Amino acid sequence: MVNVIFNKVQKAFGSVVAIPDLNLEIGSGEFVSLLGPSGCGKTTTLRMLAGLEQPTGGEIRIGERAVNNVAPGERDIAMVFQSYALYPHMTVGQNIAYPLKKRGVPKSEHPARIKAVADLLQLGPLLERRPKQLSGGQQQRVALGRALVRDPKVFLLDEPLSNLDAKLRAHMRTELIELHRRLGKTMVYVTHDQLEAMTMSTRIAVMHQGHLQQFATPSEIYNRPANTFVASFIGTPSMTLVEAEIEMAEGAAFLLVGGQRFPLPPSLVMADSRHRRPITLGVRPEDISIASGEAARASVKLVEPTGHESIVTLDLGGAHFVMRAAGDVALRLGEAVPIALRIDRLHFFDRESGQRINTDAERPAEFRSIAR
Amino acid sequence: MTPLERRYALLGLALIAPTVLILTAVIVYPLLSAIYLSFFSIYTPTLAGKAVGLENYRTILSSAYFWHALWTTFVWTAGTLVLQIGFGVGMALLLNQNILFRSLARSLVLFPYFISTVVAVLVWRWLFNDLYGILNHLLIAAGVIDMPVDWLGSMPNAMVSVITVGAWKFFPFVVIAVLARLQTIPEHLYEAARIDGAGTFSRFTDVTLPQLRDVLSIVILLRIIWDFKEFDLIYLLTGGGPMDNTRTLPLIVYQQAFGLNQMGMAAAYAVAMMVVMLVFMLAYLAYSRDRSTP
Repeated sequence: MVNVIFNKVQKAFGSVVAIPDLNLEIGSGEFVSLLGPSGCGKTTTLRMLAGLEQPTGGEIRIGERAVNNVAPGERDIAMVFQSYALYPHMTVGQNIAYPLKKRGVPKSEHPARIKAVADLLQLGPLLERRPKQLSGGQQQRVALGRALVRDPKVFLLDEPLSNLDAKLRAHMRTELIELHRRLGKTMVYVTHDQLEAMTMSTRIAVMHQGHLQQFATPSEIYNRPANTFVASFIGTPSMTLVEAEIEMAEGAAFLLVGGQRFPLPPSLVMADSRHRRPITLGVRPEDISIASGEAARASVKLVEPTGHESIVTLDLGGAHFVMRAAGDVALRLGEAVPIALRIDRLHFFDRESGQRINTDAERPAEFRSIAR
Repeated sequence: MTPLERRYALLGLALIAPTVLILTAVIVYPLLSAIYLSFFSIYTPTLAGKAVGLENYRTILSSAYFWHALWTTFVWTAGTLVLQIGFGVGMALLLNQNILFRSLARSLVLFPYFISTVVAVLVWRWLFNDLYGILNHLLIAAGVIDMPVDWLGSMPNAMVSVITVGAWKFFPFVVIAVLARLQTIPEHLYEAARIDGAGTFSRFTDVTLPQLRDVLSIVILLRIIWDFKEFDLIYLLTGGGPMDNTRTLPLIVYQQAFGLNQMGMAAAYAVAMMVVMLVFMLAYLAYSRDRSTP
């Protein structure tokens, strides 16, 4: 097992800078997802690690070895492509055997190793078939098998589940988690699907426009997003982000939003004690609820029942909040309901930079975002 | 059959009728006519003659002339085909790379294929000329030969020249077909192969070649059929000489029909040629049928 380090890595395509400066250390045996919208540089990052793209600056290390000038075939990595990239004229067995053949693994060892992989992925009955005769999920497993058979140090997976239907995707997700647990190999997984990243990863690297926004565990990313981009990108429905202010008066702190004033507990009072500070307030849909007693009132703008829950849009003095409510919640449009905010779970971001400013950031320094 | 189905069937018949009629007029009728003519001894200018039954075929099959021509046709076809495929595939691979002036090169490569055969042959005859041809001039200047070589008037030079010019004229067809296929090979396959540890040569044999197999089979079959019946290029370049050594079957058909005025005999040669080509045509049909019903 080895770690993977990106040290000041840059990548430009002509005059277009895809990755300005990437620093990332993936621990040995980790399952790290590179997550972000299209064009955020996650695939480029993976392809640089694979050796399919050459970085224009910086250094990439796999274990002790700097691999900038090492050919893809000699990096001891395996990659699963989004399109699977199975060799169409070869049978499943030949596809899986191919990396062994090219690496000069003695022919006598092939059958045993192919069988081991076929057993692991339940490919046994398919070995004589050609890729064209397989379903998407089966092709996916063959692609995994071709990656596994060689026992590489690092696995690279480029959106491997995006071509599968929803049900199969959920199933393969479980299989991949199980596979990682069993093999304990370092895996780097590219996805734009936050659900995949959240469920499978030990840590997630959220990227946006070539910059690493936050590199942390799924729960850290969800509960303490480093900036407004991460905050809005992770979570469905996404976090409400509204303009608000924090007011300091007589040693106490208040949150001003939508014309309402919410008292903040002393633990949230910022060291930076400006009298009034404009912020962007972030509230997850589950951190706002209908209050039982007297409270600030918001009017109901929209109710979207999904069965087990309803997504309710509320208007609080012009600020729109999204609330997760029970599936059978009885709300009329336009009705004014008392609302409560879970004060200890609010997210405060600097209005200018979008960076998180909560004082609850007890995270180790190295997990903090290195953005911009 | 319901009235609606009958109406559709009639409409279908009406729609294919023009095509069937035209094909009958330009293919079926001439074909049957040629077979019919081959049972006669006919003087071309008057088209008068008498039925001789299978006599024409008996004559052909027992003449060394026919067998020699058949052999010559095979040599020409095989020789020019190998060069066309080799050079065509090589050029397609080159043009598939990110080379300088790629678009310009791609257009220029097509030039021999589009130029008129008469013009091309005239230019080549000029190049090959043993008195003032630039080929001999350059070879002498380079010290490769010390006497001018008779490129078209002696053997095996004449056959080599014909095969070379044929390859030059027709390799762009191979380039077009192969290049089109090359451009559709997914880049991911090459990337997967690189990661699997395949070098440049392995990537060619393990990814490119298997992907080219289908298109090459079709191209080879088509080129065999077309080269086998090639007439103008050979006729204009050597006229079949020296001593009938480049006289392929199509040239004999022409010679019999319009040189010796033996239309019946010419038809018999043409039918014999068609029988040989039928093998390749059936192979082509079988192959394209296999591909359309996977």
